[in-house]
Amino acid sequence: MTRPLMEYLLHILILIGIYVILASSLNLIAGYTGILSIAHAAFYGIGAYVAALMALRLETSFLVNVFCAIALSGILGAVVGIPSLRIRDDYFVIATFAFQVITFSVLNNWVSFTSGPMGLPGIPQPVIFGWVVSSHWDYLVLVFCFAALTWWIVRRIALSPFGRVLQAIREDEVFALATGKNVALYKVLVFIIGAGLAAIAGSLYAVYISFIDPTSFTVMESIFIISIVIIGGAGSLWGPVVGAVVLVTLPELLRFVGLPSAFAANVRQILYGGLLVAFMMWRPRGFLGEYSFQSGEVRE
Amino acid sequence: MIVQVVANGAVASAIYVLIGTSFGQIYRVTRFFHFAHGIVFTAGAYLTLLLSVRLGLPMGVGIGLSIGLCAVLGCLMDIGVYRPLWHKGASPLVLLLGSLGMYIVLQNLVSMLFGDDTKTIRSGAVREGVLVFGARVTPVQIGTIVTSVVLVTTLWLFLRHSKMGRAMRAVAVDPALAEVCGIDSDRVILRAFAIGSGLAGIAGVLVALDVDMTPTMGMNALMMGVVAVIVGGVGSIPGVALGALLLGMAQHLGVWFIGSQWKDAIAFGILVVFLLFRPQGFLGRPIKMAGV
Amino acid sequence: MSAAFLQIKGLEKRFDGVKALAGFSCSVGEGEILGLIGPNGAGKTTLFNVISGFLAADRGKALYRGKDLIGMSPHRIANSGVARTFQNLRLIRQLSILDNVLLSFRNQPGERLGNVFFRWKKCIQSEEENRQKAFSLLKETGLAEKANGPAEDLSYGQQKLLSLVCCLAAEADLLLLDEPVAGIAPEAIEKILEIIRRLPSQGKSVILIEHNLDAVMEVCDRVVFMDAGAKVSEGTPEEVRNDPKVIEAYIG
Repeated sequence: MTRPLMEYLLHILILIGIYVILASSLNLIAGYTGILSIAHAAFYGIGAYVAALMALRLETSFLVNVFCAIALSGILGAVVGIPSLRIRDDYFVIATFAFQVITFSVLNNWVSFTSGPMGLPGIPQPVIFGWVVSSHWDYLVLVFCFAALTWWIVRRIALSPFGRVLQAIREDEVFALATGKNVALYKVLVFIIGAGLAAIAGSLYAVYISFIDPTSFTVMESIFIISIVIIGGAGSLWGPVVGAVVLVTLPELLRFVGLPSAFAANVRQILYGGLLVAFMMWRPRGFLGEYSFQSGEVRE
Repeated sequence: MIVQVVANGAVASAIYVLIGTSFGQIYRVTRFFHFAHGIVFTAGAYLTLLLSVRLGLPMGVGIGLSIGLCAVLGCLMDIGVYRPLWHKGASPLVLLLGSLGMYIVLQNLVSMLFGDDTKTIRSGAVREGVLVFGARVTPVQIGTIVTSVVLVTTLWLFLRHSKMGRAMRAVAVDPALAEVCGIDSDRVILRAFAIGSGLAGIAGVLVALDVDMTPTMGMNALMMGVVAVIVGGVGSIPGVALGALLLGMAQHLGVWFIGSQWKDAIAFGILVVFLLFRPQGFLGRPIKMAGV
Repeated sequence: MSAAFLQIKGLEKRFDGVKALAGFSCSVGEGEILGLIGPNGAGKTTLFNVISGFLAADRGKALYRGKDLIGMSPHRIANSGVARTFQNLRLIRQLSILDNVLLSFRNQPGERLGNVFFRWKKCIQSEEENRQKAFSLLKETGLAEKANGPAEDLSYGQQKLLSLVCCLAAEADLLLLDEPVAGIAPEAIEKILEIIRRLPSQGKSVILIEHNLDAVMEVCDRVVFMDAGAKVSEGTPEEVRNDPKVIEAYIG
């Protein structure tokens, strides 16, 4: 196999890994707890920017940066999660849209701190206990490890009594309250965890691409991530993995069918937009999902 | 100076009230967020580009046809996607997601067909505009404000006094009861889409005539309309007008003080504040929060 | 009869100008089954919602073992030894029957994130204990066979039975049962009433809302008749049934 082809394949796998982290973390919030959010790219972006800025300005090590990225993103997660206690379902989705845009605005316009639209180039390669992460294989191992860790964390939560409470909240908050669960606390916690995990993906993205700018962290990106969760199957453990594999590789496959590369980005979006509509119409629970954002009542 | 800000704010408000009202009318009868409304707005501008600039039809004809096609587009969305989902018992969230998907597909089609670059349908040189109370306002901008006021007032009167208007309000308040009274809610909803989409198309044309257009302009424009609706109150056209005015003025005053790059943040900040503390807006009916 | 276990004093609640609770007072003793009857709209469910924390009272107190429940959040009340069922039968249909019961146990270590990650063994242990308890409860009520199936597969009567089992799992001392036997077959009614009858011997108190007067007569120690948000009559089932005020309220 030629070197460029191998690197291309590794690149795809690395992206899949990053999206598995993003989709798994959003799955906790949207799939297991049933809170639809299109703010996830904001947490992704905060994670990326914190990691990048720390690496560039403070020259701290990667693991320290990831830790801080998780912490800051977690705080932002609480900021987004607390309003969910007052604002209901579809209005809350609009609120998450608003948070997403506000975060993008800050990243894009606080030029003195984030360099705004010009972005942050030259993000240094991570060094972890002496291991310099430089080749595509190195990055794949790094991303895979974090993806596996994230997946394991989500799994542990989902299969625990805590996870059972999340699913109860998804279907009937009142019942959850009546069985003594502090629903508000669960909702805020799940946002904190989801946001924190998304920040890991952001940190990885920042060091892998070594350049970030705000355009990677827009509403469209949030919608892409929720599409992965839904198409893969909300509320299932492997759903985000399947969704990431499908939605990352499918557009790439089309490249080989002779699509002009100018349209590649557009086609990619048409693909997941179209799949989103199709799945909503014919299989809202996605490939492997348990949950379809339905209340269960049938209307005539 | 401040007069100019007020004038700019007024023009923006005029657009917001058109989008907000049209979105609000659809929301009232369907009770879900029709995100794809944003692409209807965009279509208004691009169809006019296609018809009047590319195909050379007279501007008036191009605009008229474009608005009609926008109405049709909205109806197709209803018949093709929303109505089947609605009858299957889909929740508002499922409809919202389907709507998002549609928006994305259509926006990218526009990108592919017309390109991502900024286009314009302004004919001739950029005119200086006239002085009104010390502010520079172009004829298009005056036209925007007038058109907006006329259309929204007409819609408001129509909804209050016509049979169709009453039917729409009935479906908005209690769809099941409306059916029992012999109102075909499918048809009422379709009409809401037709009217709402036509209005959105008009807004798109006005913006394109005044400034310029890009394929992505619909999402932002739609969200401004949504903010106007939430601030003003769902189900109240005067409320939306008030909300649009507040939003337009607040944005442009804010722009004057802290710069135009914060326009979006201001709008969405206002939105979050209202969602948290007064979700029914100024003039809307209280919304039920999670409860027993 | 021991000292009042639950003392409700002068509860008031207004909705848009309508008085749902107009100074309602009553008390429940330890190990007592109190029936709460009255016409539709009398405020019975509103009373439950206020006592269990889902609705805020405008005025009044509900003293449970000395603590005033008014003003406490619903989950804290549920953790203080109170359990309730709902008129419109709330269950988590997407989860299994067993999971519904497991959810109902209070103070589970596995529900705290810290334990989930750092004391996993403790969580597993507690979960296993709860499973045993859940299974034995389900076996007693004949639901054990379907334990791993989704709750939505149960018949309406079985679902009502399940809600009662969930209250038992809570190991609550005060049970608020909202129409536990409404709309179900006689065999199911008997099963549920049998369980309710045994509760006082386990030291539990029950307030029971029901329209099925036969059930109320069978199982309740005392009955309160409620109308227009206030107590109209109180006494043994026989006394209340024969109270002219009650007869008038039902017929008039």
